[in-house]
Amino acid sequence: MKLLIADDEPAVRALVRVTLEDDDYRILEAADGVEALQKIRDEHPSLVLLDIMMPGMNGLEVCRIVKSDPTTSGTVVVMLTAQAQQRDRDRGLAAGADVYFTKPFSPLALLDLVARVRQAQPDRSRRF
Amino acid sequence: MGRLRVQLTVLLAMLGLLVAAWGATIFLGARNGEVSTESQQFEVGRFDELRRAAADFRGRVVDAVAHQRDYLLTGDLRSKEEFRAACHQAEEHLALVRTLAKPWPSLTPMIERIDAAYAGWERQAIGEVGIRDHQGIGAVMLVVGRGVTRARLTETRSHQASFDQVLADLQVTAARQQRSTYRDTQRLALDAAVMILATVTLIFFYLRRAVGAPAAALRSASSRLAGGDLTTPIELAVPNELGAVAADLEVMRRRLEGRIEGLIRLRDLSAQVVGATSLQGLCDAALAGLGREVGAAGAALGAIDRDGRLRLRALSGFDHPGVAERIVAAHHELCAFLALKELLAGQVVGIGDIETAPKPEAVAELASVMGVRAMALVPLVSRGSFVGLLALFWEHPHQLDQEQEALLGLAGNHIAGALAAALRYEEVERAAGEARAVFYAIADGVLLTDPAGRVTAMNHALEMLGGWTEADVQGMPYAEVLPVVDERGTRIPPEARPLAKAIATGEPASDQGYGVDLVTRDGRRVPVAVSSAPILDPRGMVMGGVDVVRDVSREREIDEVKSALISTVSHELRTPLTLIHGFAELLVLRDMPVERRRAAAEEILEASRRLARLIDDLLSVSRMESGRLVLDPRPLDLGGLVERTLSPFRAMAARHNIRAEIPGGLPVIWGDPDKLEQILTNLVGNAIKYSPSGGDVVVSVSVDDDEVRVSVRDQGIGMSPRDMGQLFEKFYRVDRDEVRRAGGTGLGLYITRRLVEMHGGRIWAESWTGAGSVFSFTLPGRSELAGEGRR
Repeated sequence: MKLLIADDEPAVRALVRVTLEDDDYRILEAADGVEALQKIRDEHPSLVLLDIMMPGMNGLEVCRIVKSDPTTSGTVVVMLTAQAQQRDRDRGLAAGADVYFTKPFSPLALLDLVARVRQAQPDRSRRF
Repeated sequence: MGRLRVQLTVLLAMLGLLVAAWGATIFLGARNGEVSTESQQFEVGRFDELRRAAADFRGRVVDAVAHQRDYLLTGDLRSKEEFRAACHQAEEHLALVRTLAKPWPSLTPMIERIDAAYAGWERQAIGEVGIRDHQGIGAVMLVVGRGVTRARLTETRSHQASFDQVLADLQVTAARQQRSTYRDTQRLALDAAVMILATVTLIFFYLRRAVGAPAAALRSASSRLAGGDLTTPIELAVPNELGAVAADLEVMRRRLEGRIEGLIRLRDLSAQVVGATSLQGLCDAALAGLGREVGAAGAALGAIDRDGRLRLRALSGFDHPGVAERIVAAHHELCAFLALKELLAGQVVGIGDIETAPKPEAVAELASVMGVRAMALVPLVSRGSFVGLLALFWEHPHQLDQEQEALLGLAGNHIAGALAAALRYEEVERAAGEARAVFYAIADGVLLTDPAGRVTAMNHALEMLGGWTEADVQGMPYAEVLPVVDERGTRIPPEARPLAKAIATGEPASDQGYGVDLVTRDGRRVPVAVSSAPILDPRGMVMGGVDVVRDVSREREIDEVKSALISTVSHELRTPLTLIHGFAELLVLRDMPVERRRAAAEEILEASRRLARLIDDLLSVSRMESGRLVLDPRPLDLGGLVERTLSPFRAMAARHNIRAEIPGGLPVIWGDPDKLEQILTNLVGNAIKYSPSGGDVVVSVSVDDDEVRVSVRDQGIGMSPRDMGQLFEKFYRVDRDEVRRAGGTGLGLYITRRLVEMHGGRIWAESWTGAGSVFSFTLPGRSELAGEGRR
């Protein structure tokens, strides 16, 4: 199963990578929104972890584009952001995000979430 | 008894006498007329009787003649008897005639002649009758033929005719006499009437001359007086009561004129003093007005000031300097010397000769300096309270007479009123000046309107804010001068604005909270907070409104900056916190190989350092922005400082060639060594951080005319012009992965800029993507250190 972590902070990407790398996931990384969108379209990851405050294109825009494109709308989008206010959460869900995670986050909770997504999508995972 | 009365009495007496005479004349004339008419009437009657008697006599004579002839012819005895009877009757009638004619003696001889002639005839006739009787008819005829008897008869008749003639003449005369009596009476009455008329005319003319003309003159004089003309003298040279009245009127006129003149002088004084708005003007006016009247040469005006003390406020007529100061210096002695008690009772006090009056030394000295010998003190009492004191000065001894004292007392009332008004005016002016100063100096925009909302005044702050000038907007509706829109840009109608509410209700009103923008004259929108209040007169009627417009763009900006800061800070804090939390959780809950564990721990360590730096920087920013960060400037050696700063970097950065280019003979710089070291550390640190592949890092110092320039050059990744836009702002970081990877707080260059500026210098950067950057800053050569917080 392919996962994409999009965050402009390399250390955060490292944390996600360390958290998930043992469990047979293929982890893609993107440092900004444009790169993330490109990789989603090219690689079709099953799950995308999106930071909101990224240079170029922010995570909400990426999410909106992904969810409105039929070829990518099946992607599970998890917002992973430092913006923790309810207003931000509402905005994220309105943009089509499936899950809203706020920083600091628990890596184990992330692991758990990813595992559940993999179970929910056996076909896609087998295809890749 | 006056002459007029005497003259009038005399005239009236004369008139009375004349009227009485006239009446008597008429009465007597009438009576005379009546009497003569009576006698003439009687006479006429007599005449008629007499003529009847004469006619009867004549008729009897004719009868007698006829009867005698009949007898003579016929011998008829009856005729003879009738003849005798007729004769008898004729005699009787003649006797009657004689009796009747007695009043007219002229008739008597004629009657005698008639009588004689008749008697002659009668004898002849009787003789003839006798002849007839005795001798018969023939004889008689003979006798008759002789004609004696007839002659006698003719004679009688002739006499009779002349008698009748005389009688008729007499009657005519009598009638004539009667007529002349009437005429006499008429003439008398006419004469009397003419005289009365003349007298009345005389009286009329007399009255006109002696009473009418003077009375008319008096009347016009009195109406002149009544009409207020007191200047024309009243002259009436008639020696009677009217003349006396005129003389009295003249006296009255002179008195009134004198009094009016006094009043006019007082009025002029009053007008002058009332016109004076300054106390000096009042004092000058009082001296100009009163000095002429009483001959005073100088005046001083004191007023009771706010703390209840009498204070010298103005001095007139004293040219030499220092008088006022001396009077003020001698205040206590003067108060002791002046009879303040009497003054407080409202009386004018005169000091006729200061030299002879007992006085303190200071007062004597003062009097000689002022060159005065006499003075008068006029208490100024307005509405029952003592408001001040007017002192008049003479160069020579001068005793006030009663009139002058009264004049000063009266004038004092006027001056007191004017003084009270001038003091109030001064007070009002001061208050108005204060209000004006506050109005124009206040930092918020303030606008005043009339009750219709038209602008009457506008302060400088509002001129600056709205772009209008006060002169432009006089009389304009305030809503046109200060249009206000809401958040969506919709114009708020005038009636919904606080000022309209304040004017309508008489209560203060304000916009609720933020969200209102003022549209300036050039169309900009400025966030404002507006509060309004009505301007009320003492009865609570609305005289206008005041709009206070506060520019809240700074507040709003600060609000926005604050929320952005909080959002940024929380984001910046969350990132290292996420790393610490995440790696720590992995370490705790997951089995990992040792090298992984070590890597995780290093991440935690780095994230903690980053957190600590962030907090340090935030505190620095906070201290700088609140002005608590102060420089500790001292003269220092810039070369040594650069070397000191670079040595730890040299030890750490193995890949970089770090060097300093410092010319000799640098001027001594004033600065805070710790802060300058921080500036250099930040710049050199950045240079190393953003040149990951190593290269030169050069710190060079150069001297311009009056400033020292320090540049830090690297050969790193550089920046595009777009990236450099907000380089020195808070939390700005170039959007590049390499930059992210370097893990800054976004505050370093901001802090560096603030520190440079606090030293009075400038900082800027030049850069080329991929070719490195040069960050330079200047320091003033002299000790021109800016105060804290200067940007």
